[in-house]
Amino acid sequence: MSIEIRNIQKNFNSFSALNNVSLDVPSGELVALLGPSGCGKTTLLRIIAGLETADNGSIHFHGNDTIHSNVRDRQVGFVFQHYALFRHMTVFENVAFGLRVRPRKTRPSENEIQRRVHELLELVQLDWLADRYPPQLSGGQRQRIALARALAVEPKVLLLDEPFGALDAKVRKDLRRWLRRLHDELHITSVFVTHDQEEALEVADRIVVMNHGKVEQMGSPQEVYDKPASPFVYQFLGNVNLFHSRVNEGKTHIGDIEVEIESFKETQNSPALAYVRPHDIDIQKELNGQKPAFSAIVSYIHSLGPLVRLELQRDDQFEIVEAEMTREKFLQLELSVGSKVYVHPRNVRVFLN
Amino acid sequence: MPQAFITPTSQYIRYNTKVARSRATSEPLWIRWLLITIALVFLSLFLFVPLAAVFTEGLRKGFATYISAIVEPDALSAIKLTLIAAAIAVPLNLVFGLAAAWAIAKFEFKGKSILITLIDLPFAVSPVIAGLIYVLIFGLQGWFGEWLSNHDLKVVFAIPGIVLATIFVTFPFIARELIPLMQAQGKEEEEAGLVLGASGWQIFWRITIPNIKWGLLYGVILTNARAMGEFGAVSVVSGHIRGLTNTMPLHVEILYNEYNYAAAFAVASLLAFLALITLVLKSYVEWQTAKNALRNEVHKLIIRRESI
Repeated sequence: MSIEIRNIQKNFNSFSALNNVSLDVPSGELVALLGPSGCGKTTLLRIIAGLETADNGSIHFHGNDTIHSNVRDRQVGFVFQHYALFRHMTVFENVAFGLRVRPRKTRPSENEIQRRVHELLELVQLDWLADRYPPQLSGGQRQRIALARALAVEPKVLLLDEPFGALDAKVRKDLRRWLRRLHDELHITSVFVTHDQEEALEVADRIVVMNHGKVEQMGSPQEVYDKPASPFVYQFLGNVNLFHSRVNEGKTHIGDIEVEIESFKETQNSPALAYVRPHDIDIQKELNGQKPAFSAIVSYIHSLGPLVRLELQRDDQFEIVEAEMTREKFLQLELSVGSKVYVHPRNVRVFLN
Repeated sequence: MPQAFITPTSQYIRYNTKVARSRATSEPLWIRWLLITIALVFLSLFLFVPLAAVFTEGLRKGFATYISAIVEPDALSAIKLTLIAAAIAVPLNLVFGLAAAWAIAKFEFKGKSILITLIDLPFAVSPVIAGLIYVLIFGLQGWFGEWLSNHDLKVVFAIPGIVLATIFVTFPFIARELIPLMQAQGKEEEEAGLVLGASGWQIFWRITIPNIKWGLLYGVILTNARAMGEFGAVSVVSGHIRGLTNTMPLHVEILYNEYNYAAAFAVASLLAFLALITLVLKSYVEWQTAKNALRNEVHKLIIRRESI
């Protein structure tokens, strides 16, 4: 089932949590709402579920306005950040809850409930925990039970609020791959909220980047990473180096060097922000005539793992430039703190100020 | 096998054995004993001795006098009235307290802080004033006095007045017990129930009540203790009519004023006995709550051990 979100407006007193948000979630896709905390992503998710009401705008499920349908009739599954498992019920009863509270007419028989719950527990690979209580489970196990509970009511839409936010790094990685596989199996329209760009880029079919209650950009992970629509998106999706510069007739200046920017041919002497990712900072020991480069001194080397991170002190300014390279390249260059190097930025992204 | 030295099991077991007393964090022996002695002397002077005195004074003239003081009709009627007042006040305050705590802990609305203050009012007001309020409202010279006497209804100097005063003074106990508990639990579980299709009633009975049952029971025990023991407010509205509007605490006072010490202490011992039962129940509830908490802690440790 597809979700269409139209002109959603939500204020908390004088604070505007959502400002005219519109977006489409196509049927069967896994969409990430990505943004810093306080950007309104969780509020939007709760409005989709019906746990919160919008001041203005509408939510359509498969073309039907949900404004008059109660939360319990919307057929959504909701997974909470802190699991919200019923602490006084066994794992089995937690998963069975959604079936047991149905009106007698539509309630499955006890045998059917047993069968369905065990099926779901097998799906999340935790059938052996059926008789335990939530406090007896680890965080990752609890979140998987919460997911099984949400799936028990056969929701048309699955909503996950920072599902892995409270877990430690390793479990988080395992679980998000597992969620991706589960989604590929079930093909249920899903929206999940996260502030972790790595998680969004790895798991989602589409990413919606939000900031200050507005949608900054929507698109596939590739699109938002390679073609960020705004400085915010660029900065949020990874480490960046920022250079204040000016653009004039398709050229921008970073320090002493000039970089050609095709798309700003018409611009006349306008202030601009130029961004370069650390892995696009090319470092050489000797000045190579073909590539424009500025000089800098290596001020810090962080070499843990396969990537080496360098901090470079520019000669012409006091600004620090961050660079990243493979260990091989690093060893080949024979760099140490204090080495003089020449820096050539590739893939410069310019936004007019 | 260097790992053998840091088996997680030893860490787990340490939680179950006695905590060794560390010299670094404890006071010298004589200070410890001094403080313990002071505490014990204080407790015996102010708690144990009076409690023992109640029972010895009650039994001073023999067991037969003790029993006859209790089964005497006026005493029986006082016991009955006390039980009636508690039987009405406790369930009503159970409903009021639960509703108030539910509203305060789970919803945002205007005037919430005023409601919290109002709930605390009976704690702040002297019980005698609480009694007087009802006399001023329902008494013969009060606001509704004329209307009530025209319709041949009696509130003050009758059972309804006693029940009203009891409800007033015991009002905050359950709400005060539940508000912090429900606030700490948040409303995510209720929201989860809602999304899963449960009705408001189902959410209340299947999720909210099981989560607060021990806190609720604790509040009921405290309410009941106060309802049976209340003196000041009830004294003002009762009128001290023997065999009709005397509760147990009032009956004790009358007997005492008549120099009937043995009977007074006999009835008082009954109240003290009720208090002791309340304490036992209260400790049991606390022990249950602590056990649940401890069980969760131990399981966390076990999980940690399994995952190492």
